[in-house]
Amino acid sequence: MDVKKQYFDLLKDKIEEAYDKQAEKLTQIAALFGEAMNAGGIVQLFGVRHGEEFVNELNYRAGGIALYHALRLKDLVLKEKIDQKDIDSGKIYADISVADRFAEIYDLDDRDVYCLVSFYGNEPLVVELARRAKEKGQKVVAVVNKKSYDAVKGTLLEYCDLWLDMDSRDPDLALDIDGTCVGQLSSTVSNVMAQMLTAEVYKYFIDHKMEAPVLLSANFKGADVHNNSLTDPYGRRIR
Amino acid sequence: MIDAKRFKDEMKALLDELYETQKDNIEKTAGLIAGCIEKGGVVHVFGSGHSVGLGIDIKDRPGALVPIHIMEMSDFVTKGGVSVEEFMDKKNIFERKPGVASKLYDLYDIKPQDVFIVISNSGINGIVIDIADLAKKNGHKVVIITSMKHTLAEEPRHPSGKKLYEFGDIVIDNCGPHGDALLETEGVAKVCSVSSICNNCIAQSMAARVIEILKEDGFEPPILTGDEKHDAEMKKKYEGRA
Repeated sequence: MDVKKQYFDLLKDKIEEAYDKQAEKLTQIAALFGEAMNAGGIVQLFGVRHGEEFVNELNYRAGGIALYHALRLKDLVLKEKIDQKDIDSGKIYADISVADRFAEIYDLDDRDVYCLVSFYGNEPLVVELARRAKEKGQKVVAVVNKKSYDAVKGTLLEYCDLWLDMDSRDPDLALDIDGTCVGQLSSTVSNVMAQMLTAEVYKYFIDHKMEAPVLLSANFKGADVHNNSLTDPYGRRIR
Repeated sequence: MIDAKRFKDEMKALLDELYETQKDNIEKTAGLIAGCIEKGGVVHVFGSGHSVGLGIDIKDRPGALVPIHIMEMSDFVTKGGVSVEEFMDKKNIFERKPGVASKLYDLYDIKPQDVFIVISNSGINGIVIDIADLAKKNGHKVVIITSMKHTLAEEPRHPSGKKLYEFGDIVIDNCGPHGDALLETEGVAKVCSVSSICNNCIAQSMAARVIEILKEDGFEPPILTGDEKHDAEMKKKYEGRA
């Protein structure tokens, strides 16, 4: 069979499976986010390595909810707080002081909740972000690959109120081309879960008779005015 | 009613449409890239905003091709002499600027056999169009990934009056709707965007086919395997290029 078709078919099966296994949790997480947003909070997002794709899928996204903010290592590089080579080598994820650097450059608020994405859930930095949030009584949601998390004895979930499972193979290799294993599904399935979460957060707003703060594509005529009207009241907290 | 199930169902239907309408363009792209890699070439991937996700998804993981180079927007600041203030200015959005792309393009070691993939959902912003234009003018093949529904519905922003797809040797339509959001609501805005999911699917299926073609041609695919020694050697081979 055409290898391209094989990939598309595997992805669709995996999307169906993700829905079957995670739908209930998605509704619970949407309620947690919706409650925080309704109380003046936003959702702070952080992703380890490819986990950043999930973050990008929620943060300032066309057709997405406006009340998210991404904690980005790239922002720390631009502001000369950390070195790009420590991101490339992965060393940065072992440095818990990066949590302080984030606090220096962003306007973080005690009403915020956290959504932390890590395949293994064992990197000291992501665990530290969760620990600090918990210490302040803030809610924490995680997205991990549970099989891999268990294998490396991760600790992230000890600080989390709710979590999603990427439910991916480890290593994440979907296709066997004559003995060569290729093709990743986990990030794309995670992106689908992020969009399912967006649908559920939107539903939370509608069910509670509130207007959902939905962003328009920035490449849509007139979108800048609409989008700024949603984010400006939050000042530096969102963008 | 908007909920997770509705998104899941509509997304799966869109993936069917994407495969049926774009499989030939993905196949042509895979052939182009396999040929480029067999000649020692590198694929330069550029997308601004959320479009950068396509490059990230097919790089730096077991099973991934090594000769993929992501042209990072942040390189404008870290290597290209653009100030943080200009780069992050909310009133004068950087990705829309024409005439600055060469500050990025000129940073890299680009060889004649290299191929470019330029991604933009709207295909109307300055920098992506200028990167595609520079690559074409330097004799490279250019693959464009865009939403044809979106790009055809918007006015061009580029001084040339052109849109990104006009620079493509191959154009892959990610089949996303105008505005990127899939689900109609009772209000003005639609919700749940699809471009990252469609773009990843295009990239992953294309990369798998590239590896298959390389194997058919008897060329060892330059991929990461998770074996430390093998991966270090493979990265060394493309050091400074990818």
